[in-house]
Amino acid sequence: MKLQGIARLLLLSCIFYPVSGFSHHSFSAEFDIEQPIALTGKVTRMQWSNPHGWIYIDVENDDGSVTNWALETSAANNLIRRGWKREDLPAGTTIVVEGFRARNGTPTANIRGIQLEDGRRLFSGNAEELRN
Amino acid sequence: MKVRQFLICLVPLLAGALPAMAQDIPRTADGTPFLQGIWQAQTRAAFSLEDHVARHNMQAGLSVVAGGSIPYQDWAREKQQANFANRAELDPLNKCYLPGVPRIMAMPWPFQIFQTPEHVAITFEWTQVYRLIYAGGQEQMYPGFEHWMGDSRGHWEGDTFVVVVRDSNDRSWMDAAGNFHSIGAVITERYTMEDADTIRYEATIDDPEVFTESWTISYPLVRQTDMDRLLEYQCQAEVEEANGAFERVDNLWYPAPIPEENIPFDASAGADLPLPAVPADIPRHADGTPDLTGLYTQGGIANYGLEKRENLALFPPANGVIIDPVDGVLPYQRWARAEMLERREPWRGYDDPTAHCFVAGIPRSHYVPSPYMILQPPGYTVVLHERMSYRVIDMNRREHLPDSIRLWMGDALGHWEGDVLVIESANYNGKAWQNELGDVTSHAQTVREYYIPQADGFVYRATVSDPIAYSRPWTMQMPMPRQDGELLEVACLEDNNDLEHLRDVRDEHRATLSEEQ
Repeated sequence: MKLQGIARLLLLSCIFYPVSGFSHHSFSAEFDIEQPIALTGKVTRMQWSNPHGWIYIDVENDDGSVTNWALETSAANNLIRRGWKREDLPAGTTIVVEGFRARNGTPTANIRGIQLEDGRRLFSGNAEELRN
Repeated sequence: MKVRQFLICLVPLLAGALPAMAQDIPRTADGTPFLQGIWQAQTRAAFSLEDHVARHNMQAGLSVVAGGSIPYQDWAREKQQANFANRAELDPLNKCYLPGVPRIMAMPWPFQIFQTPEHVAITFEWTQVYRLIYAGGQEQMYPGFEHWMGDSRGHWEGDTFVVVVRDSNDRSWMDAAGNFHSIGAVITERYTMEDADTIRYEATIDDPEVFTESWTISYPLVRQTDMDRLLEYQCQAEVEEANGAFERVDNLWYPAPIPEENIPFDASAGADLPLPAVPADIPRHADGTPDLTGLYTQGGIANYGLEKRENLALFPPANGVIIDPVDGVLPYQRWARAEMLERREPWRGYDDPTAHCFVAGIPRSHYVPSPYMILQPPGYTVVLHERMSYRVIDMNRREHLPDSIRLWMGDALGHWEGDVLVIESANYNGKAWQNELGDVTSHAQTVREYYIPQADGFVYRATVSDPIAYSRPWTMQMPMPRQDGELLEVACLEDNNDLEHLRDVRDEHRATLSEEQ
């Protein structure tokens, strides 16, 4: 219920506008809008790549085990043009993300919002806004 | 006698000096050597830069390295030898990855050089790879981000075009023998015309992390006279068609016939659509031709649907880009609309060629959500797509390729009608999709496109005639704003994590279908 609420809120605020610019595949073919997801975890790696970047985070499950999630972001070129650098997201950083889970059931999601623990948004808008 | 002896000595000296001075080479109006043309390396350096004996699918060859061997650090030579031993598995080219510089220059495929005062572009037949060399003193806009093909800045030193390549990644190899460099490598290339049909190519590799000193390779590039345009070799597409991962579509791919059930095609419909006006204040070249040089992006709206649409999953409502028919509805044959609607199902997402990182085709390349650069070298309009594909529009040739030659990007012939660039294209293979939502195209499509110059860009119009999938021609139109910036590189296949997810969805659907049966 809580996740559905988050998804609805984000939809209403138009954060989900399509999407990852540089999209090279059908969003709805890979990810399921019926499976919104919110995750908090520590960054293990960022793959600064095209046609999409990928952030990998360790997320602690309810039973104490840890799952490494693969989170699809906008293309590296998109982030570069907005002034972001890969150093902006070092390993070990705790982030909060919202997005939609992959249809094939793997721990994979396409994410639309990335927040640092202090609430600042990452990789959306202009990099200078965050640094300032 | 002394004078005569002097002259006798001078003659061979002069004769020897003449080729180096290269008086008989093509030059631009300001005297700069004109490198434009179709070329191919005459070397076996693609197999190994060093002396090498023959192996399976590898010709033997002599070293192109000055001094004979590459001055590796000890650890690096060991790594190169391990690369060589495991080359079947490790060679990035075996996976159709971007070859990098200098490897791309030595490969046994032709390439075409285009030259303007500000840019030199090299387009390669191999997998639509291109290099854009900024040659007008432009400062690197995005330094420090690595690319497979590096960042190339060129300048002229006398009659030699010198290109400095930086920010190459360390994932490419320099040949099939596993020779490699680090991210910090600086590669300085020198292109010198020795005569009208030969360029001496040299490249100096400066990379203290891997080598004990800088070193230089050299071989000739030879003008190709058997063709007036490059054809296509789409490496990964050929691999996947051969192994079944990308499946043939019999009713759309060449040479599918027009289906008997089709409504007859009305070729004359919509023929008298007026063009938007060209304002007086457009940028122009010195000869008065409209100057379209620049970076453009459409933003991808048409990539998510050509027709007017209501809400569709995450996509907001849109008015569509179809201006003819006037109702904005594509004049599909009934079966083709059914095909388009089915392509919206998740299990069909795998079938979109761009999901495989294949090229987008025409007109889609204009509205995939990534930029493209237009150059206007003598005789051509060249469009370089950031997604690592290109289109060469021949402004002089008047006849298309033979009907049996079919290409992902088609064969494009251009001409000016007043200030409007008109492009007629044909010879498509029918493998592309019109967009991510699956609008249909077939090999039978011909496209008449218009680049209509405006002060801040151009209006793009395309009339598509496809008697297989549609009942009449239809026309899309959209603004193409010019923007500041430089092309980056989209290496797609190399980090494409999405395809396996899409394949899972398709395979699960197919398994469900076969269970139901």
